[in-house]
Amino acid sequence: MKQNKHLLVTIVCLLVVATFALNAQNYKLPEYTSFKLDNGLTINLMEQHEVPVISVSAILPAGAIYDENKPGLASLTAASLKHGTAGYSKATLDEELDFMGASINTYASKESAGLSSKFASRDKEKVLKMIKELLVSPTFPPDEFEKEKKRLLVRLEQQKESPRGVISIYFDKFFYGDHVYANAIQGNRTSVNILNVEDIRTFFLDNYSPEAAAISVVGDFSSEEMKNILTSLFRDWKPTDKLMEDISARAPEFPRENQVLLVNKEDATETTFLIGAPGISRNNPDFVAIDVINTLFGGRFTSMLNEELRVKTGLTYGAGSNFRSLKNGGSFVISTFTATETTEQAIDKALEVLNNLHSSGLNENSLTSAKNYVKGQFPPQYETTAQLASLLSQMFWYELDSSYINDFESNVDSLDVSKAQELAGKYFPKDQLQFVLIGKALEIRPIAEKYGKVTEIEIKNDLDKSL
Amino acid sequence: MKVEDVRAFTLSNGMKFLVVEDFSIPNANMYLFFKVGSRNEHQGITGLSHFFEHMMFNGAKKYGPNLFDQTMEFNGGANNAYTTYDLTVYTNWFPVTAAEVIFDLEADRISSLSIDPGMVESERGVVLSERSTGLENSPWRELFQGVGATAFQEHPYHWPVIGYEDDMKNWTQEDLEEYFTTYYAPNNSLVVVSGAIKMEDVKKLAEKYLEPIPSQPDPPKVHITEPPQKGERRIMIERDVATPYLLIGYHTPGALHQDYYALQILNSILSSGNSSRLYSSLVDEQQKATTVFSDFNPTFDPHLFSVGAIVNQGIEYEDLEAGIYSELEKIKNEGITEKELQKIKNQKLMEFYSQVETIDGKSDNLGTYEIFFGDYKQMFKAPENYSKVTVADIQNVAKKYLTKSNRTVGVLKSKEED
Repeated sequence: MKQNKHLLVTIVCLLVVATFALNAQNYKLPEYTSFKLDNGLTINLMEQHEVPVISVSAILPAGAIYDENKPGLASLTAASLKHGTAGYSKATLDEELDFMGASINTYASKESAGLSSKFASRDKEKVLKMIKELLVSPTFPPDEFEKEKKRLLVRLEQQKESPRGVISIYFDKFFYGDHVYANAIQGNRTSVNILNVEDIRTFFLDNYSPEAAAISVVGDFSSEEMKNILTSLFRDWKPTDKLMEDISARAPEFPRENQVLLVNKEDATETTFLIGAPGISRNNPDFVAIDVINTLFGGRFTSMLNEELRVKTGLTYGAGSNFRSLKNGGSFVISTFTATETTEQAIDKALEVLNNLHSSGLNENSLTSAKNYVKGQFPPQYETTAQLASLLSQMFWYELDSSYINDFESNVDSLDVSKAQELAGKYFPKDQLQFVLIGKALEIRPIAEKYGKVTEIEIKNDLDKSL
Repeated sequence: MKVEDVRAFTLSNGMKFLVVEDFSIPNANMYLFFKVGSRNEHQGITGLSHFFEHMMFNGAKKYGPNLFDQTMEFNGGANNAYTTYDLTVYTNWFPVTAAEVIFDLEADRISSLSIDPGMVESERGVVLSERSTGLENSPWRELFQGVGATAFQEHPYHWPVIGYEDDMKNWTQEDLEEYFTTYYAPNNSLVVVSGAIKMEDVKKLAEKYLEPIPSQPDPPKVHITEPPQKGERRIMIERDVATPYLLIGYHTPGALHQDYYALQILNSILSSGNSSRLYSSLVDEQQKATTVFSDFNPTFDPHLFSVGAIVNQGIEYEDLEAGIYSELEKIKNEGITEKELQKIKNQKLMEFYSQVETIDGKSDNLGTYEIFFGDYKQMFKAPENYSKVTVADIQNVAKKYLTKSNRTVGVLKSKEED
């Protein structure tokens, strides 16, 4: 492959070709209706009739930030919703969904829990009833829980076989310290091992509640009919007594100096690394502008980072950067990997590019290119029913209105070089950097020491015991 | 989408176009399929098709080094590319205002790529990193390579698409130049365009930019046929993993064979969804595996039907392997039910909807059907072709291909004390 899509990231030439008679229209969010049931549940409905399918996205405040002293609890609870409900056994759910070619997935992320589903429009009544039962009346049979937990325990060990798959877990722990954003979504072997089915039930009763949740449905249906179906399905869902509190609101305390976490992987042939620092919350008013600047710094193929680390030097297959933004804060992260022997060269190069952004990075050409790029690549992100349903969930969660979509282009257009340079200086950190390196410690330990105080741990050990 | 929504034309140099007008978003894409992959290589130049995929971005006559990507991104477009055993595919996604630029860029590199020795060296580092990062992050990568190399002893499917490390370090300038002339010919390609652009406009741009590129003699035919396997083959790979990985490959025919659709359904019967045979039995009920999958893809030449699994803690891999065979034997001996067959047909319909929901899916799938099945119309006939398959057909293909002497078994596990 030319590039891994998830590895995204200077000179730009202006191109002169005869203009062709094609005009792009501004991409607008399709119309949708939104209403609240008496129990507080928000429902969004958007009709899309191109293909006879429907996508559902539900979002609830039941993510890993609520794990407290039981890492992995939110994630295991979400997974256990599919173990059976008052009206359906697990086997029946699995069989009937598969028979319809329908899917329902349940999961927890850092902040929220979610459900996503896709099915043929002709099966809507049947699948929506299942979704309702999963969210409102799961039964959590103990035998299924034990199986799920056992699989998870093995997976927690297996996932370390891919450094790229786990490096962000180490980073968050190292970076967020004792803030709830440090919580590892899937937990760790020690913490998962002591979870039992009663923990799951309690977590469900405390956190799965309609008043701070939303269900977004997009696809081939009539809004009026869908409103009736959903209202009758969900109106009896009782809110929990527990007062929902946004426990991530407390500001995290970030490290005051450069630090390095070195994760030893004995058999590594390359070093996978992240360099990070405080970022922004999702509702930052400069979000779109920061996205444009990050595009040219590390968010696309011709970005400054990929240009230096891949195109010019061949040190890596891909280098990039991104802002990982949550409700009450976030991180900014540079990520790449390189052969063990070129570790120092690659880290130095990444830092050099970061400094260049501040000293001389932005000019009219590169900014225009980045602006064109984010505008050009924007509409395909909201093409399918599933993408649109997920967008409505995100808008609900981060309290964004349709101006995020509808004003996207004009927000991009209004960014000029001096503003961009100012924002780069404000939001792109260059000090107090946190490094996470996964690789062969024996060979890269002396290099790691160059960048800050080193904490060294073994990839084989449990994260919570190590840090 | 209906079959009439697809329009086709062929330029005088043999370059075929498929076009789908779709104005749902102000964007379009262009997929270029070249009929060259690792299957067209030989030892000494393994991995060259994939390396070439990278070199196609490194400069041509009008747009020199780095200008392909810089120009495309400046105009709001993005691209990627991938190489398989059979194909090299280039993908461009762009706001429709950039359509003419995209045609100009493609015409430039297809007609007059320049292979700069300095670029060759730095790009060599990139693909070596791609190879090592694939192996570093995935035990599956290593196991698939091992099983492929064991199942195929003569046919070029023997080596991985990315190539052998030593060949990667030794490709020469001449290798690259010869490859380009032979395979990057308009008559060896297919172009699919979907999006907010009119057929007439695509045709005008194609005639202006791509028609002047001369056609080339047909590339040499791949004449090697893998001889029938006579007896089970087994390989072991040692690597530090939590629990062993298992991969079993059975030789199966290519896309044009009459058994293709039945094998596809068998693939879904085995591993699509929680109620599938392998998942429900081995992961759920017996808990012998944490993960199980099966895999069967269209290829030009006969390739493999694979079953893979990761062993659960406290289980011997032999026990899981036996469990897999026992599920396959059940199908061979007792067949499947009508309800199971109907389930897969329903899933295939949903799959079709997903394929046509995006302009990306439209181009990708139309191209795939045109290339592997000789006609994009086969994409629209697929639901009908699936619906013709009977429970007896499934049992028959299971009996015919899923046999002990036709399989290669790979096990990847931690080193044991000798």
